[in-house]
Amino acid sequence: MNAISTAKKLPIPADALGLLAVPLAMLALWVLVTRAQWVPEQLLVSPTKVIEAVGELWEAGELQGHLQNSLRRLFLGFFSGAIFGLIFGVLMGLFKSMEDYCAPLFNAFRQIPSIAFIPMLILIFGIDETFKIIIVAKAAFFPVALGGYDSVRGIPKNYFEVAKVYQCPLWPLIKQVVIPATVPQILTGLRLSLSRSWMVLVAAELMAADSGIGQMMEWGRQMFRMDIVVVGVFITGLIGFALDYGFKWLESRMARWKMG
Amino acid sequence: MGNLIHPDFKRSAKSLSGELSIQSLHKQYRLERNYLNVLENINLTILPGEFVSIVGPSGCGKSTILRLVVGLDSDFQGRILLDGKPITSTSTDRGIVFQDHRLFPWMTVWENIAFALVNSDLPSAEKRDIVSLNIKRVNLTGFANAYPHQLSGGMAQRAAIARALVNEPKILLLDEPLGALDALTRLYLQAELQRIWIQHRSTMIMVTHDVEEALFLGDRVVVMQANPGRIKRVVPVPLEHPRDRSSPLFHRLKDEILADLIDTDSTAEAKRAKSLALRSDLG
Repeated sequence: MNAISTAKKLPIPADALGLLAVPLAMLALWVLVTRAQWVPEQLLVSPTKVIEAVGELWEAGELQGHLQNSLRRLFLGFFSGAIFGLIFGVLMGLFKSMEDYCAPLFNAFRQIPSIAFIPMLILIFGIDETFKIIIVAKAAFFPVALGGYDSVRGIPKNYFEVAKVYQCPLWPLIKQVVIPATVPQILTGLRLSLSRSWMVLVAAELMAADSGIGQMMEWGRQMFRMDIVVVGVFITGLIGFALDYGFKWLESRMARWKMG
Repeated sequence: MGNLIHPDFKRSAKSLSGELSIQSLHKQYRLERNYLNVLENINLTILPGEFVSIVGPSGCGKSTILRLVVGLDSDFQGRILLDGKPITSTSTDRGIVFQDHRLFPWMTVWENIAFALVNSDLPSAEKRDIVSLNIKRVNLTGFANAYPHQLSGGMAQRAAIARALVNEPKILLLDEPLGALDALTRLYLQAELQRIWIQHRSTMIMVTHDVEEALFLGDRVVVMQANPGRIKRVVPVPLEHPRDRSSPLFHRLKDEILADLIDTDSTAEAKRAKSLALRSDLG
């Protein structure tokens, strides 16, 4: 009851009870399964254990440390990948010759899953920060490049005609027409690439890292600490959700004119 | 607002600029190996302050004429002169209203109208005055901060008209501006257009599918036919503005023009085939 009444105060769009019904049912099922010991505790830990593990990790400062490391890699990788992706995508959308030269290779590379580059990148850069930031940047690059490319190509010719009728100079054309026309799609590309970057980062940390949420989970697995593994799973999900939600909010703010 | 309409509906001598002269205008499109004559030998002189309507079947090139006059397309043969000067590109002395309002969806009504001044050196206070004057002119006061998706079709089109009027063009081109609106809004906006024309005293050319609309607003009605696009007839409308849609002459002219159009339409298919066959020799 308490959880529901506090949730109602938060700015959640639909009615809070409906939004929380499924998560609460899952939680109840989880409690039931662990209480009745239908599954061995080594395989499925109880929610209480998980909460205890959170407290334990938090007090030791480990959780904060891992989170900080993961988020730092995420943002460094995401921003560098996104900036290059945006520049590349917009240029490819604007210039036919650039498209002719780069599109085939671009489309081929796009098909390779980011994690498939992990072994190669480890050989080149070792398991230090560089490798993780590069893999995240690679994951961020493609959706942003694609979003930038599509959005520039998709600007209706009509808009340019109106600009021409009023003899709009180049800079106002970019600022008042090209950017607003492309922002919604570019933001969607950025949002997709941010959640993809996060997933790839956790996967990379699982494979090779000395810190980070992924490494914490891998360490928990080796130590048979299922509670820590589950904490990692939850945190990964929560962060991914928060990043996506935050970006959607940003999208709705920056493209308010689209709301009908 | 009430006495802005000129009492006797005569144009004042103040606006003697805005004379458009189209001389032996030809335009072709290339369709694979064939040339299609979109416009063939168009000759038309439109006097300063005159309202000319253009009607004709689809594909007769009536909208193309407007695109050429406004300067969005410069691929043609012949001459188009505005006050004796040839048209080479777009200019703020020629305004256009399209069938789709073409407002930018991310700009408010105010910002959309102000966009027409994007290349103007006027001080910003003056720009503000001009924009608000034009919002008033099309009766959109109170909607300056609305986004296009919040407007009805008629309101959006009025905003587009305001945008076209901002630069006080010598000639305003209207490309089926009321084509997408419902019948009632159309009637209302026809009267609005007439009021604006009388107030604004610029030359106007309107392309329309609606013969009654053409007659209600036009000093002359240009009837075009397709394949190739050419002028079939120019019909003067010797009736005082504002026009009485029920007057006998109005009806007679409407019937005549409709008969012209139906005649053109029935032979259009045959002519299209013939024209393609002829033009294929050129390819």
